[in-house]
Amino acid sequence: MKIGSSIVRFSVDRPRLITGLMLLATIFLLLTATLPSIWPHTFSALHPVKIDTDPENMLPKEEAVRVFHDRMKRELSLYDMIVLGVVNEVHPDGVFNPESLRKIYELTEYAKTLHWQDKENPAKRVGVIEVDIIAPSTVDNIEQGGLGVVKFEWLMSSPPKTRAAALAVRQKAERIPFLKGTVISEDGKALCMYLPLSSKDISYRVYADLKEKIATFSGDERYFITGLPVAEDTFGVEMFKQMAISAPIAMLVIFLLMFFFFRRLIFIISPMIVALVSVICTMGLLITTGNTIHIMNSMIPIFIMPIAVLDAIHILSEFFDRYQETKDRRTTILNVMDTLFVPMLYTSLTTAVGFASLALTPIPPVQVFGLFVALGVMLAWVMTITFIPAFVMFIPQSSLENFGLAFTESDANTDSPLSRFLPWIGRITYQHAKAVMVTTLILAIIAGYGISRIQINDNPIKWFTPSHPIRVADRILNKHFGGTYMAYLALIPGQNGESPGQYADALADALATRTEELGAEIPAIKIVFGALGGELVRLSRTAPSRTELLDALESFADAQAGLAPADQFDAWDEALLFIDQQRQREQVFKQPQALTYMAGLQKYLLTISVVGKSNSLADIVKTVHRELLSGDPKQFRIPDSANAVAQCLITYQNSHRPHDLWHFVTPDYRKSSIWIQLKSGDNRDMARVVKAVDNYVAANPPPFNLTPQWFGLTYINVIWQDKMVSGMLQAFLGSFLVVLLMMIILFRSALWGILSMVPLTITIALIYGAIGLFGKDYDMPVAVLSSLSLGLAVDYAIHFLARSRSLYERYGSWSATAGPVFGEPARAIARNVVVIGVGFLPLLAAPLVPYQTVGMFIAAILLTAGIASLMILPSMITLFEPWLFPKTPTRSLSCQCTTCMVVVVLTVALVAVNVHQFLSVGWTSLTWVSLTTILILAGICILMSRRQGCKPKPPA
Amino acid sequence: MLKTGRLFALAVLLCAPSQLLWAGEISVETIINKTNCVSYYQGDDGRAKCFMTITDSQGRIRRRKFIILRRDEAPKEGVEGEPDQYCGDQKFYVYFQRPADVNKMVFMVLKHVAGDDDRWLYLPALDLVKRIAATDKRTSFVGSDFFYEDVSGRGIAEDTHELLETTKNYYVLKNIPKNPATVEFSYFKMWIHRQTFIPVKIEYYDQRGEKYRVYEALKVDTIQGYPTVIKSRMKDLRTKGETVIEYSGVRYNMGLPDNIFSERYLRRPPKKYLK
Repeated sequence: MKIGSSIVRFSVDRPRLITGLMLLATIFLLLTATLPSIWPHTFSALHPVKIDTDPENMLPKEEAVRVFHDRMKRELSLYDMIVLGVVNEVHPDGVFNPESLRKIYELTEYAKTLHWQDKENPAKRVGVIEVDIIAPSTVDNIEQGGLGVVKFEWLMSSPPKTRAAALAVRQKAERIPFLKGTVISEDGKALCMYLPLSSKDISYRVYADLKEKIATFSGDERYFITGLPVAEDTFGVEMFKQMAISAPIAMLVIFLLMFFFFRRLIFIISPMIVALVSVICTMGLLITTGNTIHIMNSMIPIFIMPIAVLDAIHILSEFFDRYQETKDRRTTILNVMDTLFVPMLYTSLTTAVGFASLALTPIPPVQVFGLFVALGVMLAWVMTITFIPAFVMFIPQSSLENFGLAFTESDANTDSPLSRFLPWIGRITYQHAKAVMVTTLILAIIAGYGISRIQINDNPIKWFTPSHPIRVADRILNKHFGGTYMAYLALIPGQNGESPGQYADALADALATRTEELGAEIPAIKIVFGALGGELVRLSRTAPSRTELLDALESFADAQAGLAPADQFDAWDEALLFIDQQRQREQVFKQPQALTYMAGLQKYLLTISVVGKSNSLADIVKTVHRELLSGDPKQFRIPDSANAVAQCLITYQNSHRPHDLWHFVTPDYRKSSIWIQLKSGDNRDMARVVKAVDNYVAANPPPFNLTPQWFGLTYINVIWQDKMVSGMLQAFLGSFLVVLLMMIILFRSALWGILSMVPLTITIALIYGAIGLFGKDYDMPVAVLSSLSLGLAVDYAIHFLARSRSLYERYGSWSATAGPVFGEPARAIARNVVVIGVGFLPLLAAPLVPYQTVGMFIAAILLTAGIASLMILPSMITLFEPWLFPKTPTRSLSCQCTTCMVVVVLTVALVAVNVHQFLSVGWTSLTWVSLTTILILAGICILMSRRQGCKPKPPA
Repeated sequence: MLKTGRLFALAVLLCAPSQLLWAGEISVETIINKTNCVSYYQGDDGRAKCFMTITDSQGRIRRRKFIILRRDEAPKEGVEGEPDQYCGDQKFYVYFQRPADVNKMVFMVLKHVAGDDDRWLYLPALDLVKRIAATDKRTSFVGSDFFYEDVSGRGIAEDTHELLETTKNYYVLKNIPKNPATVEFSYFKMWIHRQTFIPVKIEYYDQRGEKYRVYEALKVDTIQGYPTVIKSRMKDLRTKGETVIEYSGVRYNMGLPDNIFSERYLRRPPKKYLK
């Protein structure tokens, strides 16, 4: 590798320059990343640190489901809510005792004050939206106030003084469907208040303030705060603590391990510097390029650190072994770098490719994560081949005096467990190669079964450990209430295909009927409605739409009414009323059929186990109707006419909170939504509800072409998860093909290339099979790990096969080679597994589950990949020795027809996967294009391999 | 009765300049009494066609059209030439016309200065007459930003009144509720026009001293000699919604008979007075 050795030579010759450049770049990136956060105004051109823990951002902002979600939230004035639960399991009346209710009242009053001036826009207020708080003292009660009297009042205008008054609050609330199971629990032990927030990012502040207030209370009540916005915001705060703890601990562990292996402080400082600089530069670049720190990319440092140290360990290991041969640091380092340059390049590249392939997923935070880890890995590689040699030149020759001696001694000691264990493995793979392969096959089949059982699921609340206050609150509150996870099902009428002309005809018919009805009562009706009919005919020829037709008709009637003689006055009044009635027919959600359908759908929803409760416009109408009709339970129904519905609703609006209605329906009564309370925020459960509703709607066609459409955070999570799964599969396929191509090029053989992919394929199959078998949810971190394991696991195969090939050249047969291969090369791999695997283990102590998952799985992946490489590869070599080590000398890549063809197929497949991802070209047309390309290129392969230069040279 | 009213109107007009002269010494009680009279008790009865526009924070509009009939339970011994100082019990009959689906709905109030009001609701689609009991009067009036109490009038005895300042055109009054538990405000400020005693602006403040609700008289006209607000607006600063009411066809002293303010007339509206 000429370029390689010249780079190394340059570094060795100018160590100060290299170090200086590296320091300069690091300081520059560090400053550009941190200064704008400290002095945002002075450095306004640069990007400050931006944090984003919102799972919504797993999808791009312009994604259809998010656009719809935002629109419906705006149109129905819905906000993300903090749920504050108060539970009293000690008092016989539960929370419905004067003391508990007084605290709840006080807490509500306190929550009302939790809003502040917006820092960026002083005219705006951020925090709890006071008018929309749902709590016993902020909602209305409607009930019977004696014979023929209906009574409206605050449910709890002030804290009750007596036991009877406290119990009355419960009794009243239980009669209101909206409150039962939402504000009060069925068992009376618990009460919930819902605090809507102006924006999610304020929730941690509200959460912290509430906790402070609660701390001033004493008594038997227990307080629980939950809700997705709190979870997300709290996660952001914990994430930072995590980054400040996990990354340094990982670094410390790696440091200690290296100290254990090499026992020279001065020497192991250099890999630590490489790791630190790679992390700083990558994170610096991430921030200066304006990317936000998301849950995913907060893990970047922990990913880069062990990988960055990896190559340096190889160099040190070699340097350690060889130094005593020459006792010259320059010669030693040049020799070491010469041996390791190509394997290091390939291992780094494959790791980078594994991560970079994440850019193929349609999830922006995962894309950013993948690209920046890939960047970090390559940065670490550059520094390893420049800075490490430069650093070696700084070490005074004198301090290297006894270097490597201690190690050589202990290494030579054949009694060390590793030195006995590895050759034993080697013998097994040679003597029982077939058994190893059969075992592998059986394991692969079991893994396949496991993979088929994988559960795709995620839930942001479950990102916290089970003992975290948020998880506890989630568990307790969902036990007492209908569920704290809110999903919204919007119902929107489909387009009415009627043309203005057809509409006018229908209108004319209605007009005629009405003329009949009123004819006797108002004599002038015939003349007036006749005039209206005439205008209708005229307008129907020109009006572009139904609304414009009605508007024009109304202005006509208005003008005529103004001019009309006194005896026609009543008739014109009727005409105007008629027009308004026609207009109101568009108000779908005042129509009894629409509300009845809604109520039916809600009844069905309750049969799904995860649905605890639902609230809708239908419930409001039914409740008001019942109370208007003397509280008769039989009257808890939708009234028979649209007018009756409208009159119930206007009565409802005579309350303290008339705007509550607009959370359920838009003021034009064209869009309505059902609030569905779920007991679980698992995507899997939400997906089940979605499917059930689809089935219901298919079996029961809704009136007015109502189309159900979901929104809400719980639903958005389902959508990005779907995208993640399919995206990850493509990303994995893409990186698999790239790595395979690289392996073929590295080994100049399709067979060797495929061979090198076997251990990682088995590793991934086993890991994901285990996930399926043990029922661990396939969530975000698990999905990302497939690409990671691909990049890391292939490293062992590269090292093992490269060393095996070179040793084979020396020994001439696998039986003779196997022994030495299981000496030093196998030890290097084993050591590697230990350093990186253990390096990731500090993540297990993290209080956040995604970090734990990553820590555990990386360790498992490395272990499995290590074992797979050391067992499967030698067994396969044993079995396929004649094909892997042909007697004919190796020819150039282009002369090997089969290899060339495999390369062609892989390249075309790779292009196809990528094109499919980014241009969303259908598979069928793409398949044809791919096949043609493959055929043409295969032809070229055949021609190339038959050319003169490829003819085997006659034996000399 | 009709005569008395006209004479009163004349008296108001004649007195206007002189009032200005002794304004400096006017007592808070006098101001609030006159304001109350001007706001809710002009003439012995009255009628207005109301056109209500409710606009929410997103600019979405809902409209309502209704007619208000009002009759004072005036003392029979009104002295001619003396200003009508009656501010006692009243009756209101609110007849809805739009939206079409609440056409013919009626809301009737027998307002008692001492004691709770009697309220009736007639829902034609359910053919239902219902008495309504409410623990407080500060609930929305048919979904608008106006409260029921803004329409029928808040009893002046329910607050203590304090004259904050007297500007060139206004008396500025601070009103503090005597029973804070029944209301959502901690106090409200009124800007009362010194000549007409029309409250031109009212601001409501919450427990934290934050302004959250503002009433404004947008247009005033003199009808049959009575200064009359013909356009007003209530803004809710929290929900950022507002409601505008435009009054047309205002007439005073129509001679409304007492019997139309009865349960029987809920189902059969007195068309004669509604035209």
